[in-house]
Amino acid sequence: MLKLEALEVSYGEKKILNGIDLELKDGESLAVIGESGAGKTTLALSLMRLVDGSVKGKILFNGLDLLSLPEEAINELRGNRIAWAPQNSNNTLNPVHTILNQVAESITEHKLKNRREAGKQASILLSSFGIPVNRFSAYPHQLSGGEQQRVLLAIASANQPELLILDEPISSLDAPARAEVIELLKHTNQDCSFIVTTHDISTAAKLADKVAILYAGRIVELGLSGEVLSRPRHPYTRGLIRCYPDMTTGKDLQGIKGVMDRSVNGCSFHPRCTQAIEICRKEIPPLRLIQGRHIACHRGGIIPLLSTKNLSKRFDSLLAVDAVKITIEGGETLALVGESGSGKTTLAKLIMGLIEPTEGEIYLEDSLVSNRGKDFYRQVQMIFQNPGESLSHRLSVLELVRESLDIQEIGARDERDRLVRQVLREVELPDSEAFLNEYPHHLSAGEMQRVTIARALVLEPRLLIADEPVAFLDSSLQAKILKLLLKLQEQRGLSLLFITHDIAVARKISDRIAVMKDGKIVEQGPATKIITSPGHAYTRKLSQAALDLSLED
Amino acid sequence: MRNVITYVIAFLFILTLNFLLPRMLPGDPLMAIYGNEALIAMTPELKAHLVERFALDQPLWQQFGAYLLALVQGDLGHSYYYNSPVSSIVLGRLPWTLLLVGTALIISTLSGIVLGIESGWRRGSRRDKSLLTSLMAVSGFPDFFLGILLLIGFSVTWKIFPLSGAITPYSGLSGAALVLDVLHHLFLPATALTLSYIGASYLLTRNTMVTVLKNPYILMAKAKGLPDRVVRYQHAGRNALLPVITQTGIQLGRMVTGALFVEIVFAYPGLGYLTYEALLARDYPVLQGVLLIVAVSVLIANFLVDLSYSKLDPRIRYAH
Ligand code: SF4
Repeated sequence: MLKLEALEVSYGEKKILNGIDLELKDGESLAVIGESGAGKTTLALSLMRLVDGSVKGKILFNGLDLLSLPEEAINELRGNRIAWAPQNSNNTLNPVHTILNQVAESITEHKLKNRREAGKQASILLSSFGIPVNRFSAYPHQLSGGEQQRVLLAIASANQPELLILDEPISSLDAPARAEVIELLKHTNQDCSFIVTTHDISTAAKLADKVAILYAGRIVELGLSGEVLSRPRHPYTRGLIRCYPDMTTGKDLQGIKGVMDRSVNGCSFHPRCTQAIEICRKEIPPLRLIQGRHIACHRGGIIPLLSTKNLSKRFDSLLAVDAVKITIEGGETLALVGESGSGKTTLAKLIMGLIEPTEGEIYLEDSLVSNRGKDFYRQVQMIFQNPGESLSHRLSVLELVRESLDIQEIGARDERDRLVRQVLREVELPDSEAFLNEYPHHLSAGEMQRVTIARALVLEPRLLIADEPVAFLDSSLQAKILKLLLKLQEQRGLSLLFITHDIAVARKISDRIAVMKDGKIVEQGPATKIITSPGHAYTRKLSQAALDLSLED
Repeated sequence: MRNVITYVIAFLFILTLNFLLPRMLPGDPLMAIYGNEALIAMTPELKAHLVERFALDQPLWQQFGAYLLALVQGDLGHSYYYNSPVSSIVLGRLPWTLLLVGTALIISTLSGIVLGIESGWRRGSRRDKSLLTSLMAVSGFPDFFLGILLLIGFSVTWKIFPLSGAITPYSGLSGAALVLDVLHHLFLPATALTLSYIGASYLLTRNTMVTVLKNPYILMAKAKGLPDRVVRYQHAGRNALLPVITQTGIQLGRMVTGALFVEIVFAYPGLGYLTYEALLARDYPVLQGVLLIVAVSVLIANFLVDLSYSKLDPRIRYAH
């Protein structure tokens, strides 16, 4: 029923939308998600042909080319067959007309009904959207923001449109009202197709069959909403979902590094992308169908940074790691959760090459890891449980942090010292001469752990394996170090394999969780899902234990 | 309610001023109150009567009391020039001024609003630009000057309209013919006033339209698929109206002053022309009477504008 072809909207020199291709079938609903400034509202308005800018391309609505219709013909469609409901803000409703008249007007001016019948129809609509009868002849300023929003939705629904465009429709409502209004919208407009623009992922998930992720005026990912939102495949989509405050994971608010910039060449996301390569800077990736999902990315979406296949380790009779298959994607945090003795640390050591696997392979960005040279350790670094043990007591802070630079022979001497100071500041430690000459046993536990983090980060690795990095710290220090890791991950786009016995900690920081028991991964999936609906009895047991502990506090 | 109090205070202020001004003038207060003409007719009995009537031998506050008492009784004093009560002179002239100012006010405001809406709807269009230039040019002239131009053109040269007065004297017209005669006389002075005041409401409407059009409800109205005319008048124009109505109230005072001059140009027998005659004759009681009546009428008109304003803007109507 609706088809966009190479839609392009620009205001003067500035291109707001670029090469948008979309298709919507009868009764289908699509959510357009993006941060503010991505071009959502422009997209919504261009479907009404109400943008000021110049519009190129094609918008086909049931065979009509909206962009070439004469003004009267498009006016026939507006508010009648295609309706638009904006987000309520000050003066979205006309302050000098009663709300009933503002609803009825849509009906009478399209000559669909006479005044009386239109009034009746408008009353029915208003009450079905939950406006009390005694408010019908009220003026907008006499209503609450939520009520005003409902009036806007009633106006849009007035003529039972075939296509309803909702521009951030319900962000001004509180959570319970939202759910109710979504139901109402679906009910009042049966058989209607929806386009919903929103930055609110949960609205999108509830209201729409499909989602399109908009970034800097282009669609970067398109697919069924359930699939895209639970398993994003474009790096931006994942970042967006990650920074969405979702009560179910409790993962701290974490954005994507940098800000949106429309003026870059190539893939507009590349300055913020953790896996950008040469071509990303030069060419704009087209939206292509890649394994059942439309993705605009030169690398086909998020690539696995490190994966293991069938990885096993046997100590005499004990199978410590049993045919483990995990994948860590670029820029994500995978939490490996399990009790002590479940084989987590052994798995980490296998990846680092500290012990040899009995069986199985490890891949770093699709290439098999055989003998680990300097190159491997530049990309993969690890921090250990007990900083006191892992730091040599004979070296000063400066020497400790510089050590890996020395080994990798990076830069001249003073360049290395500069890098050391910089990384110390990054982990929120002093970079004074005095501190640089300090020896580990003079440091506090928190400082020591920060030094080990600095040591790992100074090489700018792409994957950091953190083995119970906070287990030895008291809870306030724990929180600080976790925050630091999240901050560093965001700034550097680091991937994190976070090993912990505490599912509560895992839930705070991870995108995905893998649960390990007796050397086997018994369950893995998005953190939200593992926490809210654990599939394995063992996971439930771990969650229960974490809950009990937190209740004791 | 607070509004009403403001009006009461303004009203009392005007009364007090009207009472005090002549009494503050140096010299004989009787002379100041009654003007030259009175002196000629002045006899000791009359003087004694007047002193008593105005309580001039009493302290000021008692004089004020006497003044108010007289007012309440509808007594604005006596004109010795016309030899009749001031109130009847002033009230006899008042309708002509009301007719003139009322006509000009309504026409200039309404047409200013309509032209302003049309102009502001597509700002920068050819229509907007030509309207803007011509209206600005016309209202750049002072009202009496426009009056003189019209008078010379239409009455003296082309003789389409009468030279002076409000009706043809001694014509014995009645009914429709009388109405036509009145309109015929009204046309030029009303046009002069209208033309010189249309610019203000036009300009304000046009500018208000520009800001009103930026409001989200305009986009909403368009998205409803409403015809252009409805968006322009029901949605944009209706909102652009509000400041214009306020301005009309303020305008009114200025327009009354303007009318005084225009009336003189056309010898139109309203309060303006009366003032002119009274000034020439130094007929102080009449001057004071006119001043009082004009001030009070402007006050009342302003009050009405205030009332209509709150009718037009529900945000004020339901503010409490
Ligand atoms: S990998 Fe390249 S094309 Fe893909 S999102 Fe990152 S920068 Fe864009």
